[in-house]
Amino acid sequence: MNLVFGQRRIEGLLAVLPSNERRFIDEMEQFDFPIERSIKLKEMMGYDKHRIVDGPVCVSDLAVHGFEHLFAAGTLRKDDIDALVLVTQSPDYFMPPTSSVIQGRLGLKHDMFCMDINQGCAGFLIGLIQAFMLLDQPAIRKVVLVNADVLSRKVSSRDRNSYPLIGDAASITVVGRADDAMPIHANLKMDGTRRDALIIPAGGFREPSGPATCIREADAEGNLRSRDDLVMNGSAVFNFVQVEVPPMIAALLETAQVDKDAVDAFVFHQPNRFMLQKLADKMKIPYAKMPSNIVEHFGNSSGVTIPLALAFNLRDRILGGTLTTVLGGFGVGLTWSSMLLRLGPLDFCDMIEYP
Amino acid sequence: MDEFLKEMADILDEESVNESDRLEDFAAWDSLAILSVISMADSRYNAIFSAQDIKGAATLRDLHELLSKGAGAAGAG
Repeated sequence: MNLVFGQRRIEGLLAVLPSNERRFIDEMEQFDFPIERSIKLKEMMGYDKHRIVDGPVCVSDLAVHGFEHLFAAGTLRKDDIDALVLVTQSPDYFMPPTSSVIQGRLGLKHDMFCMDINQGCAGFLIGLIQAFMLLDQPAIRKVVLVNADVLSRKVSSRDRNSYPLIGDAASITVVGRADDAMPIHANLKMDGTRRDALIIPAGGFREPSGPATCIREADAEGNLRSRDDLVMNGSAVFNFVQVEVPPMIAALLETAQVDKDAVDAFVFHQPNRFMLQKLADKMKIPYAKMPSNIVEHFGNSSGVTIPLALAFNLRDRILGGTLTTVLGGFGVGLTWSSMLLRLGPLDFCDMIEYP
Repeated sequence: MDEFLKEMADILDEESVNESDRLEDFAAWDSLAILSVISMADSRYNAIFSAQDIKGAATLRDLHELLSKGAGAAGAG
C-alpha cells in the first residue's frame, strides 16, 4: 500500500553500539566448514568485524544508555517525549512491554504513549510510519522511535549461516512535526505465507523452550543450531530481496514523481554487502549512492542498520544540509517497505558505545 | 556454454570444469556456491531459482540446461 505523510521531520538520531567487537577471522574455526570456504564467504559477503553484546545485556540496557547520553548532552529533554515506540524482536520480557521498562527506568512522564512493535529488518520503516501516524494527534508533539535488538543471544555460535553477520545495536530517532516539510511518500507490503524464512522456532507459546529445544543439531550444511536459535533460509531471503525490492523502489519514485537520479542516497537495510551490491546493479544505482558497509564494520543489527548507515556514512551531509534519501527495509514477516524523504539538517547524528 | 563453464569454474574454485562433471564431486559445492549460482541466474538469465531447484541438477550440463530455461522454469524461492 502507498502512504503519504505531511509535516513530519526526523529531528535527530543516535546509534548505540556494544563496545565488544568480534572478528570473523577469529571465529572461523568454530564453524564446521573448510577454512578456505569460510574465507571465500568472508570476501563475497563482506564479513569482517561485528559488534555483539558481552554477557546478558538487554535491549532496555542499550536504549537507556542512549537516552541518558541524549539527556546529559541536552539534545533531548525528558518531558518532551510524548510517545516512545520500540521496535524489537528481542524484548526484555514477554510481558511487560520493553517500552514500559525503558519508560520506568528513565522516569519518563505518565502522560505519554508507549508501545512495542515486533518487527525486524524493515523495523526502521515500520517504526517511522507508526511515529508519523501518532503525530496526527495534537497532544503528541514528539515521538521517540527506538530500534534495538540483541539477537546475537539467539544465534548459534556454530551457525555459519547467521553468526558471522549478526550484530547487536540500538538507535534512538526523534521525530516531530515541521510545518514546511515536503510530503513524505512511503510504501509497504507484507507476506506472512513466507514467515518461516526467518524464524526462531521455539521459545514462544507455539513451541515453548524446554530441554529438547536447546539441543543443537547439524543441518544439511553442517551448521549446528537448536530450535531456540534463529534460523534463516539464506537463499530464499536473497531471492525475496532481489525480486521484491527493485519494483518497490520503482513504484515509490513513480508515485512521488521523483526521478531516480534526483535521489542523493539510497540507504537500505544492511543484510550483507553482496546482496546490496546485487540490488544496486539491478536497479542501476551507483555504489557510491548506496552504502553497503555496515555488516563489515558492525554486523547486521536488523532494524538498526538504516540509522546506523546514516550516522556512519552520511553524518556530515545530513547534519549540515539536506539529502533526498530513499530508505528501504526488508526482512522478517516477510515485510518490505520504502520511504522517500528529505533528511536534514538534523539537530544531532551520533554514534556511541555501550557501556 | 563456454562462458557458463568459466563462471562455474570460478564459483567452484577450479582451474577449469567440464559439462559432464558431477556437482557433488566438487569440494566447493556448498550453500555459498549455490547462492552464487542463484545470483548468476538472476543477473545473467533474469530467472529466479530456489536452492532446491539448483540442487536438483546432477551435472554441470543439467545445471546449464536448467538455467537456460530461464524465468518460470521453476518455482521462486
